Order: sequence, then C-alpha cells, then structure tokens
Amino acid sequence: MFARSSSRIFNVINISCIQSRSARAWVRKPLGSPMAKSKMFRIAPKKFIPADEKAEVKRLYDNYFHQMKSLRHYFFEQSLEQAESGEVAQMKHRLEEEEHIRLMEENRLENEKTAKLREEKLKIQAEKTRENILASLINKEEETRQYEIQIEAFLEKQKATPFIQAENIEKAIEEALANPVDFNFAIDLDGYVYRGRETAIEKIPEEERERLRSN
Amino acid sequence: MASAIPTFTKIGKVIRLNKHGCTNRPFYHIVVQKTRDNFDGPVIEQVGSYDAMPNSQHEKLVAVNFERVQYWLAQGAGMSNPVAQLLGLSGFLPNHPQTLIQSWKNRREPPRERKLQPIKGIAPPLDNPKI
Repeated sequence: MFARSSSRIFNVINISCIQSRSARAWVRKPLGSPMAKSKMFRIAPKKFIPADEKAEVKRLYDNYFHQMKSLRHYFFEQSLEQAESGEVAQMKHRLEEEEHIRLMEENRLENEKTAKLREEKLKIQAEKTRENILASLINKEEETRQYEIQIEAFLEKQKATPFIQAENIEKAIEEALANPVDFNFAIDLDGYVYRGRETAIEKIPEEERERLRSN
Repeated sequence: MASAIPTFTKIGKVIRLNKHGCTNRPFYHIVVQKTRDNFDGPVIEQVGSYDAMPNSQHEKLVAVNFERVQYWLAQGAGMSNPVAQLLGLSGFLPNHPQTLIQSWKNRREPPRERKLQPIKGIAPPLDNPKI
C-alpha cells in the first residue's frame, strides 16, 4: 500500500554510509495513513503508582543523579591531574625537552656555519671596497693634476693674448683707425678669395692671389 | 563548581550495550560509540562484554575495563540504563534506582511460567526465575 520509496524519506536519519546487514529501523507510521481498526477505540491503560512509591522512586533517582554528577566531577578532575603528572605526560615532557635541546643545538651549528660564510664574504667585499677606494683616490689625484695643467695652459694663453691696458688705449685706437680690417670678401668654388671688386682670378696678379684650403 | 563546567556539555558519545550473538543466543558488547551510530556501525572502543545467558554455574558473566570507563566518563560520555545498572552492581558506580525498583517488584509479583528448565550445577538453582 505504501511504497517503500515514499516511506524511506522519514527514515533518512537512520541511514549510515557504512553498509549494514540489519533490518531497516522503523521510525514512524507514515503521516497520511489512517488509524488502524484495532486501534480506533483503544484507550491506553494508565499505570497506577501509589504516592509513597512515587516519592520513594523520586528520592532514589534524585540521590542517584546527585551522586553521578559528583562522580563525573571527580573523574574529570582526576583526568586533569593525571594529564599533568601521569607517566604519559612525564614521558611526553621529557621527549619534548630532548627535542628542544636537539633543535637548539642544530640551530647553533647552523648559525656558526652561516657566520663563517658571512665573514668570508665580508672579507672579500672589504678587500674590493678598499681597492675601489684606492683606485678612485688615484683617479681623483690624476684628475686634479690634469685640471691644474689645463688651468695653467689657459692662464698662459690668456696672459699671452694682447689685452689693451689703460695706458695702451690711445695707441690702440690710433692703430685701429690706421689699419681698418675689411671682412667682406667672396669665395670661389676652387677656394680663391676675392677681396676687391675683381670677379675673375686671371685679372689678379699671381703674388696677390689668396686661396683657402679645405684641408 | 567552575572547573567542572566542561563535563556537562554533551560530547555525542555514549557507553551502551551492543547486541551481538545469534538467534536465541544474545551476547552484548559494552561499547563506547557515537550516539548517532547504529549498533552495527563504527565503534570507538569496546570496554567490556555482558553475557545475558546464564552459564552452567548459573552465572551471567560481565567483563568491564574500569580504567577506560572512567576515562570516557571524565570526557563526558553518556551511559545507557543497562550499562549504568551493571556498573552499579559491580560496585564501580552507586546502585542504579532501577535495580532496586526491579528487585522490590520481583519480590511482589508471582513467578512467571518458564519454558526452559534451569541447569543443575554447583550454584543452587534460582528460586525467583524473574532475575
């Protein structure tokens, strides 16, 4: 009447993922099903328990639960104490200590190794930097020397150029007026210079010909 | 009281009887299991056994590993009534009220008709076959 598949929905909580060969547990009657004929007019019998018996039962249970509660407290505290001081705890503690010491030792050795390597590296670096500094100092010296030489040359040149001093000024003016410099000239493709109004090189005599050379 | 609070939270584990054996021959394992698991499902630890059929000496043999039971009770595992009764009878825990109630009911009511005859051996036969 009621398909197994439909009533299976209510038995979901009893399904375990591990295969079990036992009979499927009956959880409840399907919700839509009617009351059975045998149960229609049934009145469930209620047990009568006299009051003193009830009181005795209650007393017994109260005492029992009280005792069980205190026992559980006690067991719990015992377990804590054992965890601190029991054999297993001591062994664990000892093993942890040993492990700690071993690891610290390993760490120390490792540190020493790396310190050595670091020292060597630093030495090499220091050597390099020293050399660099020396080289740069030498360069600096060289540069300053060169610079001084250049300055000397420059000063020489400047001193050599004929500056017009305050005493020479009149003489310079008279000289300049007497010798005018004319920059207007023309130039040929062959490099001949024409200063005057002549336009052909044949017309200028041989001694007065000027030629600019590209090389 | 403050230190004991952890024991009262339910940890989902329970010490109870798992029926094994075969037809007309039950045999119980006292077992620590998760509450949700079936009786034939995974078991965390077996902590004893209870043979419901009396042997030739009229004894029902029970074996219990009290150290482990104490450990699990300290962890906060629950107990089923039969297990609590057995442990009470053994002296590890106080007597369960059910034992006392059953005993005075047995004294009150008349004995029941039994199909099987008691086996005669060293211990005297029981006069109240309800036990």
